[in-house]
Amino acid sequence: MASNSGNMKGFYREKKPTTAKKSSKKSPSNAATLGSTAAQTPALVSDGGKPDLKDEYDEKETLLRQFDLNMAYGPCIGITRLARWERAQRLGLNPQPEIQSLLKSGNVQTESLWGGRI
Amino acid sequence: MATRMERVQCSYGSLDETFEIRKEMFHGQQYSQIYFARLHLMRTLLYSLVPHWKPNFPVCTVLELEEDKECVIVGTLYKHMKLKPCILDEYSKQKSVVPLVKPHNFMHSDDYLVLEDESGRVKLSGNIIPPSEYVTGIVVALLGKESGAGDFLVQDVLDAGLPPQIEFPLKSGEDKYVVLVSGLRVGSSTFNPLQFQLLVDHITGHLGDEKDKSIASKIVRVVFAGNLVEIPQRLLNGQTLASTDLTIMSDPIRELDILLSQIAAGLPLDIMPGHSDPANFSLPQQSLHGCLFPGSSAYNTFRSCTNPHCFELDNVRFLGTSGQNVDDLEKYSDAKDKLEFMERTLRWRHLAPTAPNTLGCFPYTERDPFFIESCPHVYFVGNQDKFETRIIKGLEGQLVRLICVPKFSETGVAVMLNLRDLECHALSFGTNSAHNNAE
Repeated sequence: MASNSGNMKGFYREKKPTTAKKSSKKSPSNAATLGSTAAQTPALVSDGGKPDLKDEYDEKETLLRQFDLNMAYGPCIGITRLARWERAQRLGLNPQPEIQSLLKSGNVQTESLWGGRI
Repeated sequence: MATRMERVQCSYGSLDETFEIRKEMFHGQQYSQIYFARLHLMRTLLYSLVPHWKPNFPVCTVLELEEDKECVIVGTLYKHMKLKPCILDEYSKQKSVVPLVKPHNFMHSDDYLVLEDESGRVKLSGNIIPPSEYVTGIVVALLGKESGAGDFLVQDVLDAGLPPQIEFPLKSGEDKYVVLVSGLRVGSSTFNPLQFQLLVDHITGHLGDEKDKSIASKIVRVVFAGNLVEIPQRLLNGQTLASTDLTIMSDPIRELDILLSQIAAGLPLDIMPGHSDPANFSLPQQSLHGCLFPGSSAYNTFRSCTNPHCFELDNVRFLGTSGQNVDDLEKYSDAKDKLEFMERTLRWRHLAPTAPNTLGCFPYTERDPFFIESCPHVYFVGNQDKFETRIIKGLEGQLVRLICVPKFSETGVAVMLNLRDLECHALSFGTNSAHNNAE
């Protein structure tokens, strides 16, 4: 069996699909995840092989990321930042009011820093 | 000659709202959220109890533990189980090291408990907290100290205890009965139509002498605690069904509808979905739709309820499930009887601690519907092997009647409870000549 497959390898030329080809085949930007209606945000490592690490983010995002990582308000995965803030408020955990005003203002990311990556 | 008898009336209030899934939506949330909600809720409660329990010890989080410092920690228990089936085992290359000895129970002497909070987790040691009695998902307060090995040596355990109870209504002196039935399994091989017809005739007052009828007239409600029908497994394979198979599939429900409408014509009845019923799988199971029961749902006495089901009859509070919570506890822990499992869930103040770990559960984000806020007067669990009952008392004078309702299709036993004094007895029906109809 093993020798057989060796022969086959010799017969057909092995060919590795290149990454460029792969990316043209499927586009994960509109791949649906279970139960999610929104389009998926790009994965940590996108298809081009370039890591999608947004190193530059402003002060607002820094504050929001600190809020995301504060375990006192519960897990931040699978819940929007605003919903998480409101839950903390309802549970009497006194989250910072600035966070809410930031989130209400609009031009910030609504999902947590892991949003769409898990 | 026959005298006309009026059926006794009773006030009814449904408290199923907490178990109804209305506004909750699934948008990719994970189960960590429900553990967070549970821990937050229970920890607030336990923190209020700790000053009375151990006034002289500091309370800290898992991260703040120091070696040999005696303190109180509060967190969620996780039971590490060697034999617990894991979905990933299917993909692992190694064969399972330990074969399952008893497939219905996954306990092993190597099991150990871990306590978790947001900050971290710590392995528990000492024989104060035996792993066999506890399961994953309970929130407790522990007194102890960190030992050299990095374990937390437990010296004392505090669980939330029986919740506060509303006052038991003043004795009216009038007998009022509630009948609890479970596991009818219409459509299964064990279902005996004659046996159930005897029950129907008995509670609607069509059977027996004047004395039997006067007792029957005092039955104020019948509750069916799950597993009403059984649909043949071979039809549930996801394939398109032939029209004959469609009829076979809906036959049990149609038959049940005919039987239930006989009861609904005479007295109020509640039905709860169970494991084998055509409802959602995960707890809380939502009520079966009325259109499944076109005959009986036409009566205003017919109520389709959730599982778990909570209601009040003349201010006597009932709480019950179709049995999944206790059946799951039995797989992952140990007790001398089913009633002990029931008692533990009340003392832990949690109806189904193993959800979502080993019991299907809706992924709530903000609340834990299984938290028992108020202590019921009657706590019943359906689909058990035999009829068992006991009264337990709490430290603050709470009094709870625990009832294991047996599977009717296998035992022919229903349970009759008196609302006046919470006394209860079995109603046993047999169709063999060796038995009598109603005892």
